[in-house]
Amino acid sequence: MSDQGVSGGLVARIAALSLVVVFFQAGVVSEVPVFGVTVDLSPLLVAFIGLLCGSTVGAASGFAVGLLVDLALVQTLGLTSLVFTLVGYWCGRLRELRDPQAALTPLLVGAAATTASLVAYSLMEFMLGVDAPVSLELLRQIVLGVLVNTIVALPMWVLVRRCLIGGLPADPRRRRRRAYTTGGLSPLSRS
Amino acid sequence: MYDKTVRRRRAVLALLVVLSLILLTAYFGEASGGRLHSVQRGFLTVVSPIQDGANKALKPVRDLFGWFGDTLHAKSQNAELRKQVAILRREVVADHVDQQSYHQLLGMFHLDNQLSVADYRPVTATVVGKTPNIWYSTVTIDKGTAAGVQVEDPVINDEGLVGKVTLAASDGAQVSLITDSSMGVSARIGSSAATGIVQPKVGDPNDLLLQYLPGGTVALKGEYVYTSGTVASPDDSLYPRGIPIGQVTSVNEESAYESVNVHPLANLRNLDVVQVLTAGAGSQPARLSGLLSNLPAGGHPGTETGSAGQLASTGVGG
Repeated sequence: MSDQGVSGGLVARIAALSLVVVFFQAGVVSEVPVFGVTVDLSPLLVAFIGLLCGSTVGAASGFAVGLLVDLALVQTLGLTSLVFTLVGYWCGRLRELRDPQAALTPLLVGAAATTASLVAYSLMEFMLGVDAPVSLELLRQIVLGVLVNTIVALPMWVLVRRCLIGGLPADPRRRRRRAYTTGGLSPLSRS
Repeated sequence: MYDKTVRRRRAVLALLVVLSLILLTAYFGEASGGRLHSVQRGFLTVVSPIQDGANKALKPVRDLFGWFGDTLHAKSQNAELRKQVAILRREVVADHVDQQSYHQLLGMFHLDNQLSVADYRPVTATVVGKTPNIWYSTVTIDKGTAAGVQVEDPVINDEGLVGKVTLAASDGAQVSLITDSSMGVSARIGSSAATGIVQPKVGDPNDLLLQYLPGGTVALKGEYVYTSGTVASPDDSLYPRGIPIGQVTSVNEESAYESVNVHPLANLRNLDVVQVLTAGAGSQPARLSGLLSNLPAGGHPGTETGSAGQLASTGVGG
């Protein structure tokens, strides 16, 4: 999808989805520990928006979701925005350059996005001089965090895709791919 | 056309990154009463009622998920708790007699005006939000300045000390848990009169460390650690005396200061209802806090801590 084709409907869908996910995260998901850590839906949301909508929308959504998270959870303003902007952009570029179609792509992208955001967040906190533990416990939290986020990556992908698919403009490359598979525009079928 | 798209994409990324860095720098550099902090408080005021409503509506979902983990945890704790109940029952009978004598003695020497939880005008609040990462041990509650909640107010639940209020909006507040890196609570071990400071343990954010204990302090595994009812500086929160904080898990022999590892009693991962000790205007703790804040800064730390501690623990200000 070209970033120029961003409609108002898509922006509204992304905004509504972001609000719901961030409040659901803060009010429910954060209070249900799994293996001693909690699932963090926000990096998955940003990654999948980038993967569906492209780098510019991914980066802008990452910034907005990060700002919302920092405001709602009273954290250092701008920190999550910075990390999520880069995560959203990277996922968008992945789509624009490779356009991966494998069924496990959301799983891998979710794991990579979570790893990147947790590591980047930790580095930023260290650079800001926040008095925090530097230990195996931190490493354990990151590894377990990535693991539990990977488990929920596929359902989250289905949810994000279902919510945004109606607002996505038609993508010429995908249309061409679909046409090949159905035989309509395939050079072989024409010959 | 292609170049234009690439330029636009890169410009948007650069703009967002620069904007994030400006926000980050401005937020980190300003005081807690600054503009961005005010925006955050305003946002908290607006979303607190929504969060509260969503929290109540989604409680069954949360309880359903929590039920599985709680059941497994409860089974493993059952046998151990039964043993503890048998021991504690015997201790309660013995303590009852001691308590009567203790109160008689306190009355005789006019020392029975210590602060209790009831003096602090507790406000019951519901936890409506929690940070999902290791870096912040904070929760958001649905009561704020409109209910008398102020920054630095202690927060407890039925299990023990939870933390203190670090940001208050009109209808919501942020509570830093005792495992947050910014926290420090003056505390004592049950059996001894020795006091130290309870702080999060570096390397394990879910555990605590009672440190700066006097040399030769004896601490046994399983002993309870309570708030001492004193403050180390006039800026500290004045926690009521005797609120349980945790249990001693091990003693550190190798450290320069005497210190013990403490496991918090309050289940900080699953907080639902808490009480904020508001110390409303005119109350005994409020008057005492005012007195403490007027103490001269500087001087000999030991002397200052000693006098502040003495004031707090005996309730002279009341």
